[in-house]
Amino acid sequence: MGFEFSVIFESLPPLLEGAKLTWIITLAGISGGMAIGILAGLGRIAGTAYLGDEPHGTSKQICFLTRYFSAGFVESIRGTPIIVQAMFLYFAFPMLIRSLPNVDQFRMEAMTAAVITIMVNAGAYIAEIVRGSVISVHKGLVEAGLSLGISRYQLIRYVIGPIALRRMIPPLGNQFIISLKDTSLFIVIGVGELTRQGQEIMASNFRALEIWLTVAIMYLIMTTVLATTLRHFERKMKIF
Amino acid sequence: MANIIEMKNVCKSYGDTEVLHNIDFSVAEGEVVVIIGPSGSGKSTLIRCINCLEMISSGELIVDTIRIPAERKRVRQIRLEVGMVFQQFNLFPHMSALENVAFGPRKARSMKAGEAEDIAGELLAKVGLDEFKEKLPGELSGGQQQRVAIARALAVNPKVMLFDEPTSALDPEMIGEVLDVMKSIAKDSGMTMVVVTHEMGFASQVGDRLIFMDEGIIVEEGEPSIVMKNPKSERLKDFLGHVKHH
Repeated sequence: MGFEFSVIFESLPPLLEGAKLTWIITLAGISGGMAIGILAGLGRIAGTAYLGDEPHGTSKQICFLTRYFSAGFVESIRGTPIIVQAMFLYFAFPMLIRSLPNVDQFRMEAMTAAVITIMVNAGAYIAEIVRGSVISVHKGLVEAGLSLGISRYQLIRYVIGPIALRRMIPPLGNQFIISLKDTSLFIVIGVGELTRQGQEIMASNFRALEIWLTVAIMYLIMTTVLATTLRHFERKMKIF
Repeated sequence: MANIIEMKNVCKSYGDTEVLHNIDFSVAEGEVVVIIGPSGSGKSTLIRCINCLEMISSGELIVDTIRIPAERKRVRQIRLEVGMVFQQFNLFPHMSALENVAFGPRKARSMKAGEAEDIAGELLAKVGLDEFKEKLPGELSGGQQQRVAIARALAVNPKVMLFDEPTSALDPEMIGEVLDVMKSIAKDSGMTMVVVTHEMGFASQVGDRLIFMDEGIIVEEGEPSIVMKNPKSERLKDFLGHVKHH
């Protein structure tokens, strides 16, 4: 059984279908992950001097709760394997919902579970990236902003945000690539992404070498696209 | 003249460490007050309390009739009336000199972009940096950066300017250009100024009053040349001895 290029050509259409799903899950997942990450990342430092004046009165209590809730979210997601999270969301979560009174029909699409898993998982890691970048912004710049009499929103939007964003790009690139590769784990919940497509073709023709080589190259192309896009942004923005 | 800044029995602590002890301090409108003292004496903390970058722990602070802590919600109003210049300049690194100066009027005073940039352009010209409008802070010398920082603080049109060791981070040959700008602000616009500095020449030429602080209290105060010539306390004599040798 030598290396057969024809095997690769035959399996390209289903593999490309899989790559398309991988791409969709990744892009939807990291977009949602960015939103969750920014909220949870800022949440972890809510009410600290990194984000301007320290609050007093009731807002101090609210910030305290926000910090603990955000930290709890980040730690519980970082502390459990993504494959367990995917299985929980796909198999256990619907059972939990169905056990509620007045609910007897509830199913979760595998694709939905996959996207949510990436969103939440990437969100937790991005939260740490956001927090790290924000606390690295020089305290004097925050004070300079405050001393001009701008609001907290303006301080974050125009001073802290732009400086922190530039520092986030290299670690974000890392996380985006990890998230893309993590989509291969959704083979366990039956999403027809690239790895699963490869596995299925392999099971019917036993051409492991050709199939896995092609699958690996397809992942490599996709991660290269992500990395190149981010490097493009990085070059456009000076790091301060 | 009416006092624009008043501190009544103000204390400031960090945890168990009290760094300002029962300070009574006031600044009249148009007055230039120079604060000197050894490091750790509380002079920076004192002026940072005025624009509430540090919140006083007890006592009362009144800035332009706004009372702290009673009117804590109006801290931003105080900051609009009180500009600040920092030792490390703290220019926004991602904005050009012009954008740095236009930022305050644009965002804090809600001016139109064009209007804010006109003001910024005028102020940059006033501090002698007309040709450096488009430069980023990283492309400017320390003295130029500090002059941009002064223009930035002035752009919000404050009634009071605070200077926290504005020349301490500068190379010796750049100190003069910054002091000259500060002198012209004091002389031309009659700006109320509180200046923490070690520049004794500036203190005697421009200052209306000199305050010597040590260990969180005001030890001596008065007309600058008199205080400098006739220090009453051993601590001030000792301090002046050290300053003069530099």
